[in-house]
Amino acid sequence: MRLTLLIISILGVLIASPTSAFAKVNVFACEPEWAALAQEIGGDLIDVTSATTARQDVHHLRAKPSLLAAMRKADLVFCTGAGLEIGWLPILLKKAGGPDVQMETLGSIMASDYVEKLEIMQKVDRSMGHVHPEGNPHIQLDPANIETVAEVLADRLFMIDQTNAAAYSQNLENFKQKWTAATKRWSAEKASIQGKKVVVYHNSWAYLLKWLGIDAVASLEPKPGLPPTASHLEEVLKTVKGQEVSAILVAPFENEDAAQWLAEKTGIPIVRLPFTVGGTDNAGDLISLFDDTLKRMKDAS
Amino acid sequence: MSKKLLLAASALAILNVSPAFAADDADLSALRAEIAAMKQAYESKIGQLESKVQSLEAQQNQTAQKVASVEPAAGNTIPATSVRKINDNSFNPEIGVILQGKYQSFSEDASEFAGFAVGEEAERGKEGLGIDETELNFSANVDDKFRGSATVALHEHDGETEVEIEEAYVETTALPYGAQVKAGRFFSELGYLNSHHAHADDFADRPLTNRAFLNGNYGDDGAQVSFVLPTEFYSEVGGGIYRGDDFPGGSADGSDIGSWTAYGRVGGDIGDNTSWRLGLSTLQVDGATRSGNEGNVTFDGDSGLYIADARAVYAPTGNNAEQEITLQGEFFLRNENGSYEDTDAGTAIVPYDGEQSGWYAQSVYKFHPQWRVGARYSKLYGDDVPAGLAGSAIDHQGHKPRAVGVMVDWTNSEFSRARLQYNREELTRDQEDNQIILQYIMSLGAHGAHAY
Repeated sequence: MRLTLLIISILGVLIASPTSAFAKVNVFACEPEWAALAQEIGGDLIDVTSATTARQDVHHLRAKPSLLAAMRKADLVFCTGAGLEIGWLPILLKKAGGPDVQMETLGSIMASDYVEKLEIMQKVDRSMGHVHPEGNPHIQLDPANIETVAEVLADRLFMIDQTNAAAYSQNLENFKQKWTAATKRWSAEKASIQGKKVVVYHNSWAYLLKWLGIDAVASLEPKPGLPPTASHLEEVLKTVKGQEVSAILVAPFENEDAAQWLAEKTGIPIVRLPFTVGGTDNAGDLISLFDDTLKRMKDAS
Repeated sequence: MSKKLLLAASALAILNVSPAFAADDADLSALRAEIAAMKQAYESKIGQLESKVQSLEAQQNQTAQKVASVEPAAGNTIPATSVRKINDNSFNPEIGVILQGKYQSFSEDASEFAGFAVGEEAERGKEGLGIDETELNFSANVDDKFRGSATVALHEHDGETEVEIEEAYVETTALPYGAQVKAGRFFSELGYLNSHHAHADDFADRPLTNRAFLNGNYGDDGAQVSFVLPTEFYSEVGGGIYRGDDFPGGSADGSDIGSWTAYGRVGGDIGDNTSWRLGLSTLQVDGATRSGNEGNVTFDGDSGLYIADARAVYAPTGNNAEQEITLQGEFFLRNENGSYEDTDAGTAIVPYDGEQSGWYAQSVYKFHPQWRVGARYSKLYGDDVPAGLAGSAIDHQGHKPRAVGVMVDWTNSEFSRARLQYNREELTRDQEDNQIILQYIMSLGAHGAHAY
């Protein structure tokens, strides 16, 4: 009985605790790149929480308590979609998300719905590993995709927070100007690495490689989502031999052991790319994410 | 937009069907002008939309052609059109099947809990090779506000196949204010493990506490409501009312609410690496008649269970794909007031008012993306019974049941796992049961996300 009283009094304290004033638009971003983009378009008018950091493999996250608390406050859920967050986002939405942030509502953006996805599969089977029938979800490393999603985001912010519509529109314009200039610069820079070949750890780089015109000749994972095995690495070694491969691409959250083994056998350099905002010290925002990615790719070849 | 259209339509309708409508000419012509203006506005809007649709269709055709002309990629990746076929079966529920198999070997013939009368699910299962529960799960969004899920478990008991409705519930998906309502039969939010399905556990069997106090899982017919509160850190409160038919309840009849639960939880992160959760919960059963130890022991009365649970998860940089350590423990206290009868020991119906308790603590270390090791200790504390119950199953006779278990498991993908576990259970005096359990757990088809 004393315990029941204790529970009830704790509940009382929790319910009575003050809630923050509802002034800014709370954006729940699933990945750092969308948090960064929201910051560009929303500026001071929004509060952004990123559910993950660049050092975390988004596939494997849990619906941990802090994320429930963040979802509880969300006015806009800004994620990749295409099954990337399937292991945890549905639980957060169900338990803590309001009616205005559920899938297919005004307060929900699944960025991959708005871009042309690569590797859409007609037929899938679990023996193929961790595949996404909806297509490859790692869409953020093509500058054109970022611009498309920026427009979608600005559109939604207009509708959710109409009093500040002019500011969002201005921020979008500013961002697009910056982005167009940067894209031009990158197009010039990338010419020197076009046609190169790389080995990847996971198929995280499909959009980047398509944009750069680079071929992935092998993947260290035997099947998407399954860690490298000795026999598969021998296969990769055979594939790589006799080809001019300029880099082994590894994301910040990926284990380097297999890449190191291959690098020692072949002399191909390991290139750790930022993958998303915050993935390297230099990749502090979206523009420097692409700057640093290009720089590291060029340094390797 | 559509509101205006509706308004215009209803205005038109009123004008058409009520010729007796008394309006003077000026009003009427003003209204006509307004409607004409509206019509014009809509016609131009519709024109715009039509041209937009046309251009989109053209784009789509182009994309389809583009995608169709792409060469097949290496390996088993089959590129397809961006236009997905929608068939009738797109609305079929998600279907999942959990297949489990086990080999168990025990060094002792019998296994009794000193000081406790337990339910069927608390027993250690059968020796040798055998399949464990086969779970069939069907779930889908009912519509934009509800989700439904049914889990049917098939298992064998004494040579007969039993079908059990483990869970069959509907739940809300889009309530405001962090609220969620669940109704039907489901595993209640109670401590940490209770709301989880056994196939998601870190060990092949449940700790002694959950076996003795909850018969594995408390899953009853009723309704539960929960609120995630708008606090900076995570906090959630909730509770439910139930029929009171499942262990530790039983023989519920009449229109009374047989049991209720309440819980409160807090949680959060410590830096990027660690997350934690603490909770308190209670399950109160009023006026139950429950049988235990294969029908030999009957309890009649009120049963109150209090649980404190704690869990912490540590992963370097928070990246649990590579490495992770979880620490988890629960403390149980049960206060019962009623009467016990043990027909096996030949006792009378003896009044009883007392407390039993227990706890477990476990840690699991994922040291490789596919490999984990874990250890668990659990212990129970029986009660000093009145003279009439001396020598019965409720009499702990100075022994505290305890068990230690260690396991190693291999997870090929999130859909398959194989595990080897060793247990040493000392549940009654002079009983040292050394157990070896080898098991696999595989899931076919849809496999929902697992909670924290």
